[in-house]
Order: sequence, then structure tokens, then C-alpha cells
Amino acid sequence: MSEKKSMGKVLFNGIITENPTFRLVLGACPTLAVTTSAINGLGMGAAATFVLICSNFVISLLRNFIPDRVRIPAFIVVICTFVTMVQLLMQAFIPSLYDALGIFIPLIVVNCIILARAEAFASKNTPVSSAVDGLGMGIGFTLALMLMGSIRELIGNGSVFGVNILGASYQPMLLIVLASGGFLTFGLMLGLFNLIVKKLETKKKHEEEQAA
Amino acid sequence: MNLRLSTAPHVHHPVTTQRLMLFVIIALLPAAAAGVYAFGLPALLVLCISMASAVLSEFLWQKIARKPVRINDFSALVTGLILGLNLPATAPWWLAMIGSAFAVIIVKQLFGGLGDNFLNPAMAARAVLLASWPVHMTNYVAPTFFDSSIDAVATATPLVKPGTQLMDLFLGNIPGTIGEVSKAAILIGFLFLLITKTIQWQIPVVMVGSVALFSWMFGADPLAAILSGGVLFGAVFMATDYVTNPMTPWGQAIYAFGIGLIVSLIRQFGAYPEGVTYGILLMNIATPLIDRFLPRKIYGHQKEAKKA
Amino acid sequence: MMKKTFKRGVHPLHSQHGGKAPTRNLETREYVSDTVIISMAMNIGAPATPCVKKGDQVLMGQVIGNANGFVSVPVHASVSGEVIAVDKIPYLGNEPVMAVTIKNDFADTWCELKPLGNVEQVDPSLIIPAIRDAGITGMGGASFPTHVKLTFKEGAKCDTILVNGAECETHLTADHRLMLENGRRIVDGLRAAMRATGVEKGIIAIEDNKPDAIQAMKKAAEGRQGVYIQALRTKYPQGGEKQLIEAVTGRQVPAGKLPLDCGVVVLNTGTCAAIADAIIDGKPLISRITTVTGCVRTPSNLKLRIGTIVEDAIGACGGFSQEPGKIFFGGAMTGICIPNIYVPMAKSTNGIVVLNEKEGKSKEESPCIRCGRCVAACPIGLNPYLIKVAADKSDFEAADKLHVNDCMLCGSCAYACPSRRWLTPSFKFAKDKLAAQAKAKGGAK
Repeated sequence: MSEKKSMGKVLFNGIITENPTFRLVLGACPTLAVTTSAINGLGMGAAATFVLICSNFVISLLRNFIPDRVRIPAFIVVICTFVTMVQLLMQAFIPSLYDALGIFIPLIVVNCIILARAEAFASKNTPVSSAVDGLGMGIGFTLALMLMGSIRELIGNGSVFGVNILGASYQPMLLIVLASGGFLTFGLMLGLFNLIVKKLETKKKHEEEQAA
Repeated sequence: MNLRLSTAPHVHHPVTTQRLMLFVIIALLPAAAAGVYAFGLPALLVLCISMASAVLSEFLWQKIARKPVRINDFSALVTGLILGLNLPATAPWWLAMIGSAFAVIIVKQLFGGLGDNFLNPAMAARAVLLASWPVHMTNYVAPTFFDSSIDAVATATPLVKPGTQLMDLFLGNIPGTIGEVSKAAILIGFLFLLITKTIQWQIPVVMVGSVALFSWMFGADPLAAILSGGVLFGAVFMATDYVTNPMTPWGQAIYAFGIGLIVSLIRQFGAYPEGVTYGILLMNIATPLIDRFLPRKIYGHQKEAKKA
Repeated sequence: MMKKTFKRGVHPLHSQHGGKAPTRNLETREYVSDTVIISMAMNIGAPATPCVKKGDQVLMGQVIGNANGFVSVPVHASVSGEVIAVDKIPYLGNEPVMAVTIKNDFADTWCELKPLGNVEQVDPSLIIPAIRDAGITGMGGASFPTHVKLTFKEGAKCDTILVNGAECETHLTADHRLMLENGRRIVDGLRAAMRATGVEKGIIAIEDNKPDAIQAMKKAAEGRQGVYIQALRTKYPQGGEKQLIEAVTGRQVPAGKLPLDCGVVVLNTGTCAAIADAIIDGKPLISRITTVTGCVRTPSNLKLRIGTIVEDAIGACGGFSQEPGKIFFGGAMTGICIPNIYVPMAKSTNGIVVLNEKEGKSKEESPCIRCGRCVAACPIGLNPYLIKVAADKSDFEAADKLHVNDCMLCGSCAYACPSRRWLTPSFKFAKDKLAAQAKAKGGAK
């Protein structure tokens, strides 16, 4: 990473081109498990974003002190600290969400996205850009979770963020809020995202060719 | 004179994909007619909606995806008809529509279209509908039009007194989905498929035999097990879907045997009253494995078993 | 006797008597054309070198092309008359080949012949050289020089010579007519081959759609030492060497090996008759029976001089009955298309079939529905649908692993396919590519 990336690019990278959920397919476990409603998706995303930013920042600060051999345990210790903070805060202030997300809050510790960014980005970049990377990745993760949650809540319950949209006569499709529905939605979203990114790339290539 | 040059062979067997699909539709007609006779116009309406929306879904998808439109191979029509026959006559219009669209677009087209789907589209759609709207999917009525008592269990494990009840099961005087009620009509379709050589006997016969065997082993009446629920319909029309069953007779026998085992297990020990759909879907998934690991003897290679 | 057959296979044009109805009951007619164009490359192996020049007068049976090496045979003049051209001609899409054009004087003056006499008394060591000098090649299609086939390499053990009277291809009835009209010659030829090689047993295998030929051959073989007739259940590709061996003897030719490696040599009926002509009369191979059928006015079996031009052969059958869309040499399952009607026929041309515009149209491919008909048809036991997927992706390595090289391009799978997929053409393409790759590799070493 000799090339210095602009902050905007790092942010965009996390949200679209390297969207952790739909492009890197990281953190699939919480993606499938908690996105039964939009609010759950948002809550999970926010919690993970907080952990991502903080852990990225701290790990980046410590990157010159952590011996290479024990870096993973060291990362985990840092991440654990923030996850415990999030967990306690949530339990205190939004207990309903805490109950809904359940085991998946402590499991943020082993969320691939966080460890992957620590390993791939924070341990090689400055604290500020690491924090921005965490923010971008976090937003990408949150948006993806929220999108999936919204879709599944809409189809499986007729509402988004608890607001009924499709009316009382709508017959909810139960499957979509079950586990198999999660896989189905995830698969379709992956396909759609790949299609969009491919289209963008071919367009960009086309423009470059024309410019050249 | 303009002579065409091509590589041999220069002749083809008269059968085409289109004709095979047409044969399947013809074979389904007795079962459809029996269903409409039993349940009246609502059944006809369900069938028409599911067929129309299947064909329309295929057409629209192929237009949107800019693929060649192939609705004239009738495969979407077959999917729509089979799905319709798998619904109860009381199914609301949107249920049939969503089911068909799901079958054609998500199960078939998204995996590459005809021939590339790994699950039987109608079966997968039925499983989705059953998981999503269980009440609508199991709202069976007795063929008399009056009794709307809901008894999902009745179709799978009817209380059988030998004699008259079995005859009712056979002729279709029972509640159930549109297509599965009349076993006599299904057998007529089966004979038609056999005579036209559209399907081979292996899958239906082995599957029915295996259901009978395992029902007997698990302590149920084998004859009632065969005649109740969707076993016969599934064996003749759904397990035999070319795309999702193995290529060789031995592979097909293993596949059909597996379906029978799963159906009996689900019926006797599972939480669901009927297991034909899941039996077929699970063995659909096992099909590539069967094709891959079943050894084939190649001429001149006696000693090595084939691993494709 | 129990009828035998091989595994799998198809029944092409079954409902139309295998496409054979018009010609099977018609007596063979002799037809001699005004001009013949005799190709020098009528056999597998090295082509012959022309040894006459423009303006020469040649006699019937005179050598006009000398053999080059062991796997090669001489070429003879099929008519007497004047050589009017010695030139390269375009031939069946391959490279142009040398050919000698002779204007017929219709005198049919034979050159000096050296008959060896009765096949049971002739010195066995003279038989194989006589076969070579008579220019005899396999007359069923592949045109492998017969003397090479009968010359066993050191240590090879052969116990049976099979005569292929299956004629499983569609449209063709040339072998059928030959068996009916000249069965004795076939048996004589077989005896000659048996005596030359010291093989004790000769089996003439005939499909049961030719009961009259089975009867005729049984009669012809009466009292001949070690000659048996075997009826086979009609199925395509029974006349394929490997399938015939499997059907009759139950043995299989090991992959990549020759029939001789399982103790069998297969000869065509026409080849046997040609051997008999060469030994008894000393006559070289200058004519053969060819079925001309399809969209011609009077479909017939013609005894044609080698080198007869297709246009003349069709003219002898009353010309086209419909606008032709496709013409091929051989039957409809493996026939090779000809680009125009000015192509001459060769020693292996057992049929000239004319399809009309509609029949000749190539079929459009539709998606594979995995019905398994190709798998049920393949006489080798391959998975044609999988090989096709590999070949379409140009993944020839995968195709090789799926044993595409065991494919003998019989066309059964493509015939059976309801989606009209071009299975056989893509296998041929894959095989050609693999052969080219192997050659390139060999060259690099």
C-alpha cells in the first residue's frame, strides 16, 4: 500500500466496490441470521461499525508495537474490548434490540470483516485512514444489512422499520423471514450486486477506451 | 445447385424437446380433468392461472435478460401445469401466480434456463409456497364442494379401513391437491408416457416400490401409503423430470429408491404430514453426485471404473 | 441360432425400413460412364504416384499409380481408353489430390491378367502379395489397405476372421445385394484370407433385417471349411468394427488398440469379393457396387467403375427427382458430404445419397434437457452430454478425460438427441484438436 488513497476513495471503496457483504461476502453469518427486520439489520450494522472504527483506530495506533507472531490474539483482545462495551451499552439503553440480536452481539468478536480489516488495512495504514476505512466498511455493512432486513421485513411481514406498508390484506410470505429465506435473499442480492458492479466496470472500461 | 455441407449424422430421431414436453402435457391431462371434475371450476381457474403466469414469466424474463425467447418449447407450460396440479383447488390466484413466477424465474432461469436448473422448478416452488403460506397450501376440500373442513393430515395418513376407502383413494374421492386425487387418471398418464417412450419405467416403479417397502418396514399399510398423498403423481410426473434426475438407468433406480426412503421417513417420523416434495428435492440435489460416482463401463476399458 | 448384438445403440429411420426400402429388392445394374476420374489417394496411408501421362493409352486393369511404401496400394485403370489429364483435383474438403482422368473407349480391353486359380489350392504365401497388387482396400468406409490388415505383426494371435455383412447404415443396400447375387465370391474371398493368415475360423455376420441374405450366404458357405454364418439383431452401429466384434465374439477391442489385439480381423463383404476376384481371375479392384438413392428418380444399386463421377451415377438413376439440398457418400449416419456433383467416387464409396432441400437443412440447437438419450445410445458407453459441454467451452483436456478419443463418431447420440445438439460434430472437432495438440507435442520433443 505505497499508494496513498484519498479519504473519499477509501470511504467509497467500503460502501460500493468492496462492500463487505455483497462483494467480499464477509460476515455472512450475522447477515443471514439477524436481517429478519430492518431495525435488526440497522442495529447490528451500527454495533459492528462502532467496533470497526474503534478497533481499526486502536490497532493502527499499536501496529508498530504488536509483534507479528501474536498479532491475531492481540487484535482479538482489542476487538473484544469494544464488543463488550457495545454489548453493555446496548443492554443498558436499547434492551429490546439487545434481546433481538442476542448471541450475535458477542459474536461480533469473530466477525470476519473486523478481523479482516484489522489484518489487511489497519495494521498497515495510519490511524486516521484506518478509522475512515472502518467507517466506510461499517457503513457498507450497515447498508447491506439494512437493505436485506428491509426487503425481508417487507416481504415477510409487509412492513419496513415496523411501519406497515403493504396494507392489512397483504399475506406475508413466511419463508423469507426463515433461514432459507435469508439464503434466498442473500443469493439474489449477491447476484444483483455483481451485475451492477460488472455494468459499472464495463462502462468505465468503455469510457477509458474511448478516451484512449 | 447449392449443396449443403455438414458433418454426419444427416438424419435425426423424430422426437424433439417440444414434442416430449407436449407428450408430458397430454399425459397430465387425465389427472387435470379428474381434478377439475372433482373440485369444479375453481380447480380449472387455478390451473389456467398457473400455466399462464409460468409462460408469461418465462417470456418476460427472456425478453428482459435479452435471451432468445423459447416459450415455444412448452417447458414453462409443463412447469405451470405441474405446479397448478400441486395446489389445492382453493388456492387463491396470487398463490398460483407467485408460485409459477418463482418456479420459472428463480429456480429455472436464474440458474441458466432449461436444462441447467438443479431442482425441479415446480417442486421447489411448491416447497416455497408451502413454507410461506401453509394455511392456503393445505386448505384441502373434499371433492363434494361442501365440506371445507381443513385436515392436512388426512391426505397423507388417512385412516384406512380396507376395502372401500382404498377404492376412494384410487378413484379420487378424497381431499387433496388438484392433480394427485385420482390415481386412475395418473396411471393413464403413466401408460401414455411409457408407450410414447417419453420416460422409462425405472423411476416411477422403483420409487413406488421403495415407498411401499419402507412404509411396510415402518409399520404402515404399504398399499394405502402408495395411494395416499402425492406419491403416484410425484413418481410419474415430478421425479421423472429429465433435467433433475440421473442419466443412467442404474442411477435413476438409486435416485428413485432414495426418494421413497425419504418420503417414508418424513411421513412416519417427520414433522410434516407429506414428504414427496422434499424427497424429490433432496434427491434432485443428490443427482449430480449419483451421475458422477456411478461407474460406467466404457468399451475397451474393462478394468478402470469411470470417474467423470 | 441365437441372434447376437452389442450394448446400447439406436435404430435410425427404423419406421422406414432403415431407409432402405427402394433399393433392397432391385437387382444390381452395371453402369459404365464416359469419363472416369481416378484419385490417387483412395486409401489410408501414403497416396499412390501416377505412372501415366496425358495422352497415354491405357488398358483396363493397368496400373496407373504406383504404391508408396507398405501402407499403400497401387491404383488401376477402371476403363480402357486415353488418359486426358493427370492433375490435382479438389476432393471432399481435404487437400487437393492427384487424379488421373481417363476417356473411356468402351472397348473394355483388359490388360494381361495373372489368375492364381482356386482359392483352396493356391499357395497361401502368394495370396497377400496378390491382394496388395490388386489394390484392395477396406470397402466399408475407412479404406485401410487390406494386405496390411492381413499381415500380422510378430507374436500376434488371431483366431477369427469376421466378415462384416451387417450393413447397419441407413439407405445402403450394396452389401445386401452383393450377398444375394455373389455370395460364393464372398466365401471364396474369406477362405483366401483364412488360408493366407492360417486362421481356422471365419464368421460372416449379417443383421436379421436381411433374412434373404442370411439364407443365401448359408447356402454359399455350405461345405466350406471353417465358415460360419451368424445372424445379428438389427441395430446401429452394428457394422462398426468394434461393435461387430463385441456382438459376435463378446470380446472388446482394448482402447487405442486394433481388432487384432483381441484376436480378430474384420473384413467387409465387398473386400472379400474383391479378394476372390483378385485370386481367381487375377482382376484388380476396378469396380464396386454402390447404392444410389434418396431424391433420384430410380434409386438403384449400380456396379460402378472406380472413379465414376457422381453426376453420371445420378444420371444413370434417372437424375434428381427433387431439388437436392445435400449429397453424401455413405449412409445418413456417417456419410461425408460432397461439395458438388463433379466429385468422383472411390473404392470405399458404398453409397451416394441425395437429400432434398428440406431434409438437408441443418437443425438448430436447443438447450440440453439432460434426458439421457445420448447416454442410452452411445455404443461405447460415454457421456456425450458432458463431452459436449467440455467441447463447447473448448476445454479439450476435460473432453479427453471424458474419453472423447474413444468416440468413433458413429452419430448415434446426435441422432437420438431431441434437442438436436451437434454432438458428433463437436466431438470430431475435439478429437481433431487433441490429435493436433498431440502431434505438436510430439514434434516439440
